[in-house]
Amino acid sequence: MAAKPFVQIENVTKRFGRFTALDRINLDISEGEFLTIVGPSGSGKSTLIRLLVGIDDVTEGTISLNGTRIDTMPANKRPTCMVFQSLALFPHMTVGQNIEFPLKLRGVAPADRRTRAIELLALLRLPESYYGKRISQCSGGERQRVALARALAFDPQIIVFDEPLSALDYRLRKTLEKELKDLHARTGKTFVYITHSLEEAMVMSDRIAIMRSGRFEQIATAEEIYSRPISRFVASFMGEVNLFPVTGRADGTPDWPAGAIGARPGALAVAPGWTGVLMVRPELVRFLDAGQAADFTLSGTLTAEYALGSRIQYSVDTAAGLVTVERPFETRLTAPVGTPVTLGWDRAAVHLIAEAADGTA
Amino acid sequence: MRQVSRSTRIALYLYGAVILSLLYLPLVSVGFASVSKARYLSFPIKRYTSEWMTAAVTSPTVHELVLTSLKIAVSVTILSMVIGFFGALAFARFQWRYRGLFQKIILLPIFFPQTVLGLALLIWFSALGITPSWKTAVVAHLVWIAPITTLIIAIRAYAFDPALEEAARDMGASTLTVLREITLPLLMPGIVSAGLFAFLLSWGNFPLSLFTTGVDATLPKWLYSRMVSGYTPQIPALGVLSVIGSTLLVAVGLVLMRWMRPRD
Amino acid sequence: MERLERRLGLLSALPIGILLLLSFVMPLLLVAGFAVMPQKVFELAHLPDFSSFAVIWEQGYYKSLLRSLGLAFLTTVILFLVSWPLAYGMAKVFGRFTLVITILVVLILFVSENIRLFGWSLSLMKGGLLEGYLRAWFGFSFETPLYDWPVIVFGMCYVYFPFMLFPLAQGISLVPDDARLAASDLGASPARILFEIEMPLAAPGIMVGCLLTFVLSAGAVAEAKLLGGRSVIVLTDDVESAFTFGQNWPLGSALSLTLIVIVALLALVPISRIDLDAIMGRKR
Repeated sequence: MAAKPFVQIENVTKRFGRFTALDRINLDISEGEFLTIVGPSGSGKSTLIRLLVGIDDVTEGTISLNGTRIDTMPANKRPTCMVFQSLALFPHMTVGQNIEFPLKLRGVAPADRRTRAIELLALLRLPESYYGKRISQCSGGERQRVALARALAFDPQIIVFDEPLSALDYRLRKTLEKELKDLHARTGKTFVYITHSLEEAMVMSDRIAIMRSGRFEQIATAEEIYSRPISRFVASFMGEVNLFPVTGRADGTPDWPAGAIGARPGALAVAPGWTGVLMVRPELVRFLDAGQAADFTLSGTLTAEYALGSRIQYSVDTAAGLVTVERPFETRLTAPVGTPVTLGWDRAAVHLIAEAADGTA
Repeated sequence: MRQVSRSTRIALYLYGAVILSLLYLPLVSVGFASVSKARYLSFPIKRYTSEWMTAAVTSPTVHELVLTSLKIAVSVTILSMVIGFFGALAFARFQWRYRGLFQKIILLPIFFPQTVLGLALLIWFSALGITPSWKTAVVAHLVWIAPITTLIIAIRAYAFDPALEEAARDMGASTLTVLREITLPLLMPGIVSAGLFAFLLSWGNFPLSLFTTGVDATLPKWLYSRMVSGYTPQIPALGVLSVIGSTLLVAVGLVLMRWMRPRD
Repeated sequence: MERLERRLGLLSALPIGILLLLSFVMPLLLVAGFAVMPQKVFELAHLPDFSSFAVIWEQGYYKSLLRSLGLAFLTTVILFLVSWPLAYGMAKVFGRFTLVITILVVLILFVSENIRLFGWSLSLMKGGLLEGYLRAWFGFSFETPLYDWPVIVFGMCYVYFPFMLFPLAQGISLVPDDARLAASDLGASPARILFEIEMPLAAPGIMVGCLLTFVLSAGAVAEAKLLGGRSVIVLTDDVESAFTFGQNWPLGSALSLTLIVIVALLALVPISRIDLDAIMGRKR
């Protein structure tokens, strides 16, 4: 990655009246990166990209691109382009006219515009015959591609995506996620993508920024966010995880406020007075047969099983609360619901999240 | 929003305020003129009087004019509410073969120059051997106003969910019961505002009344004949009274609609 | 069910259908009939001729037709320019103020147009509200603009303003905010956004507004009489005199018919294209 950041967002604050939507945000984006900002609705992720493309103005702070400030530039002068959630395709224009719109604004000759539009159609795997089609004749997935083609025609330095896939059905979304990642690789553009789905983010992104209440909670690679979340909020953002509160006793051994978990001596050393949670992912929890050992053990009763297609999930009621266990469908348990079971997992599966005593990170 | 800057917003608000005041400026002039003592109006007004208003209120001619205008407006209101209710069902609610055509035909009288319509009706009535009177004026007003009430009620009809009617029918209600128990109450706010519009538009209309009332003059028609023949203080005085009448009715109508809202 | 709906549809269309047939369609057919009758007859039992149209041509009545159309055109253009910013504000900027404007503009419609025009003549005359107070307060006087054609255009703009404003505001509200933002994001200047995005997308409203204004002002007469003081004779003036003082129904009918045909030709194309279901409510 370049030494000097491509996009530099420094101390950006955005207030709407008395409400602070973004609170002193700092973020660097490298050239050619695929960065995804994930957060629940109201976390400020949409506000941030609207500031980036110039739909709204920053209240405080600066946004620079290649060392030049862009936060004072009007939207139509910025080298950024947004793919809207609604796609914002112009309904009174054909597919071709939509794609050519930014070129027309720049005064590109009609013949060259057409050539470029057809190139872009091909890049997005749309047949050339779509050039003259009306927007209303296109399906949801085709509209996505037209919107992307239009953004690429603008040839921006950064393309920003505002949850464009959220309205599509699951299968189409999965296909387009992969296509988008592929397109990113082929064009080498910088992509900034926002979504509320961490799963979607993981498929596509180089880096993921998790947002909460107008601040970044964690900015890291997908791998890191998955295995080493910085807080309970990040940990719970993707799917189900098992979280057990832990505190450190005076002698350095763990104490379990929510219910005892058997830990092999020396498996877990906790500093005296330390407070936090122990995280273990459901697929890393095993059912132990009699005589089998693990670094951590917990017994309980099997209460439910849920088939999730290729995987199967179990709920186990234990002294430390409900624990979720997941395993491949082929290794399905034969034991019926109500059977007493013993769960176990190893030290390597565990991630510790430090928390202040009041529960915040 | 960045798209509309602060200064543009302020300019737009100011522009709106200026246009609104221009819209009402002539009424201010009429209001002043109605209380000016001088027989030949000239601003600034030096002495004020209420004698013209008093004269207008007590004049038997005026009573007759008001009575005629009221008879026409009330008849038009009732008839156009009924016609508009059914028209709106045909316009927005039922799927029938000539609905598209019907929707467009309804618009024609609204688009039509009223003076020409009034004259056409005048020769139509004399061809039929009908002497124009306040009753013919009711017909003339209806041609223009019934399509308007149809549109107003239709807007309401578009907003309601046809599943409500289907559910009622599903529970065994007959077509007539559905109409009475479901459709009519749901459309009621629209029908009331349509009635209000009908009354006010009929009360204030003059291009149609001009040719179709015969010897029964309405207030606007009488005012018009006075205006073109020269100024007298009676004109602004009556004008103001007519506006006050409309304003009171609008107030009553708004209260009525607010009262109806909880049942909405 | 569907057959029932069809029958009910036809049935509920009947009252207004009969009303319009008897007192709109038939009178217009009568007018069309009289338009091809010889001069000054009062029944249709004559051999048709085109003498009325010859009179229109020879005695210069076509001039008042052209004048009316010209004034109507001018009114439409001016009203479009004047109303656009306000309609834009109502659709996209104002919020609650939109309701205030809507109510106030609708209320003025309930005041008889002749009272309002009369108010303007009291405001604009020599010694009227404007000139009188300007002179009394600032010693500034001006000649009255009354009794000339520009004041007629002004009067028509005033009276037909709501018929332009509301359709325009409705049209502009159909323009999605995202489309404007996207165009700006793609590099379009405010002027390009106006001409390439907003105006094309608001086209249905623009069409309805311009059409209404044009048609209504082409048939207007009160403005010319009350503000123009008969200095300008408009078409409807001629129609009225032919039917009343002139007692020449065929001439009046021919003049009316000419106006109706021109207006109908202008109106039919856009009306037939408009999808009323989409404009007035959600599509079912």
